[in-house]
Amino acid sequence: MCALQLVADGVIFSCIIILGSIGLSLVYDIANFPNFAHGDLMAVGAFGAITANTVLGLPFVAAAVVGIGVGATVGVATERVVFEPLDVGPLELLIASIGVALCYRAVLIGGFGSDPRSYDVGGRGRVEALHEATGIAASPRSIAIVASTLVLVLSLHLLLQYTSLGRQMRATADDPDLARVSGIRTRTVTTAMWIIGGGLAAAGGVFLGLDTIVRPQMGFDLLLVLFAAVILGGIGSVYGAMLGGFAIGMAHELTPLVPGVGTEYKAAVAFVIMILILLFRPSGIMGGKESA
Amino acid sequence: MSVLDAVRGHVDSYTAGERFAAILVGGFVAAVGLALVSGQLSGGYLLFLLGLAGMYVLLSLGLNVQWGYAGLVNFSVVAFWGIGAYSAALVTAPSAPIPLELHPVVGLLVAIVASATVALLIAVPTLRLRGDYLAIATLGFAEVIRLLMLNERWLTAGGLGIAGIPPILRGISEAIPQVRLNLGVARIELTHGLTNSLLEFLAVATLVLVVFLGLRRIQRSPWGRVLRTIRADEDLARALGKDTFRFKLQAFVLGSVIMAIAGVFYVHFNRYLDPSDLMAIETFYVWIAVILGGSGSNRGAILGGLSVIAILEGTRLVNALPLLAGVDIAPLRLFLIGLLVILVIRYKPEGLLPPQHEHIWPEATQEADR
Repeated sequence: MCALQLVADGVIFSCIIILGSIGLSLVYDIANFPNFAHGDLMAVGAFGAITANTVLGLPFVAAAVVGIGVGATVGVATERVVFEPLDVGPLELLIASIGVALCYRAVLIGGFGSDPRSYDVGGRGRVEALHEATGIAASPRSIAIVASTLVLVLSLHLLLQYTSLGRQMRATADDPDLARVSGIRTRTVTTAMWIIGGGLAAAGGVFLGLDTIVRPQMGFDLLLVLFAAVILGGIGSVYGAMLGGFAIGMAHELTPLVPGVGTEYKAAVAFVIMILILLFRPSGIMGGKESA
Repeated sequence: MSVLDAVRGHVDSYTAGERFAAILVGGFVAAVGLALVSGQLSGGYLLFLLGLAGMYVLLSLGLNVQWGYAGLVNFSVVAFWGIGAYSAALVTAPSAPIPLELHPVVGLLVAIVASATVALLIAVPTLRLRGDYLAIATLGFAEVIRLLMLNERWLTAGGLGIAGIPPILRGISEAIPQVRLNLGVARIELTHGLTNSLLEFLAVATLVLVVFLGLRRIQRSPWGRVLRTIRADEDLARALGKDTFRFKLQAFVLGSVIMAIAGVFYVHFNRYLDPSDLMAIETFYVWIAVILGGSGSNRGAILGGLSVIAILEGTRLVNALPLLAGVDIAPLRLFLIGLLVILVIRYKPEGLLPPQHEHIWPEATQEADR
């Protein structure tokens, strides 16, 4: 396989990682714990879209929106019912989030079984014009994933930089206590973050399902790769998560170019990068908070 | 009547948590007894389950040394278990890709040396990390180990797994004659298989007892007290002149070796091992056991280990109920465990049997009473 093809695959995979890691990073910063249920939240979104698509018979685009809505709702509901009432340290929150992850997955397996599913939408073949021009085999599905991710990421950027809510979010991420005394309703802002994080995670899940297949374990299998992206980018930094997601996604797919390392060690490469970053630059490449 | 009074006096001295735990254990024993009498559970399978429970208890005790004593967030429990299990399997099994077929005792020694070495290599760079970072780093390490076991087929046979691992007490069970007892009501038949299961159960029970007593002694020792200080306030321990890194390192290695021993035991009694046993969920189960039992408490770790195995294996019996015959149990079990974790963290974060007087020498309290 040529290097250009690997780069193209890397871009597609990066999109999914970016969408997952933004929410993970936001929650890590605000609630101060690594949410182990975030990967399974991606799966919840993917299954929300599968239900809308194959059971209710909605067209795929509408189904994807439903899936994103389901992810955002489940994220906020979990925060309100489980995490917010807990008055414990970060490690206990981490353990509780494992419990949440198991509950999500149990519901998915109970409701849908563990057999893999796929969306009822075409676009699997490669785009011939692109293949002839560049030699890259990419399906219309992949192109849609990349385009939608760009739209979502750009919208988030505009939201953060040019709206009142965005400024409040950045202020809260920077210093929650100072934000609160300045009159920002931090609870509303936190809710907004869970909505955005859950919705983006669900979008990542839907796109992962579109790129590969939908199964209950899909999100959890990606969780450590998401952590790698978040830690590489710097916890709490949205732009860091984007950059980290891109770098980890590319590293994941470009692994075959490293001599002596087989594709079966794709994920291991991401984890090793993560461990190295934790050891040598735990604040990440974006250096933490200033870019929120 | 005096016996009854003595029992009552003893029960009165229990804390609420201890009473609850006693009821839990009593109910568990009663349920197992009922299942055994009603024929839902065969003697051989019960011994298998008890062996499995012993393994979980060992894992919980090992994690308790790391998290409960020293506050180290190790999420690679299954990796150390796997290092122990694979060491034992590769050294003893005839079907290993590089067949050595050595005695299980050699496997145990290899497992101890390998796990201690890997624990040192992992701990030296990572133990300086903050708790949540350590959690993520060790989880990543465990996945790397799983991928290695899955893909290095020349060494581990990969996904095919290793079958035909000999029993740990090789040659002993065959030496014991088969016994048939006819007691009128019950016919007890001691075949080689059952004798072997019984011996293996006794072996793990002895191992658990030895580890438990050893850890209890260690917890009360000056070493254990330093670890407790580190967990409560590392700066304080350092101000008192303790080399806290050294103590944490020792606790990490000790806990990891106990986990590896649990792995050694497991392969010899399950006789088969493949990389699907190395999934992260196993680590989560052990964490749940320790949190449920009460971090820092050895008795709690035992109770937690037993509870988790009771939930994991006990839910299989649900299908025996006529009403729930067709229900798929796997998701229900997963949901119950997830819910249990959330409820424990919400309502009883210190666990069922938090450490209380186990930190104090019994003689010390007796003298205070006098």
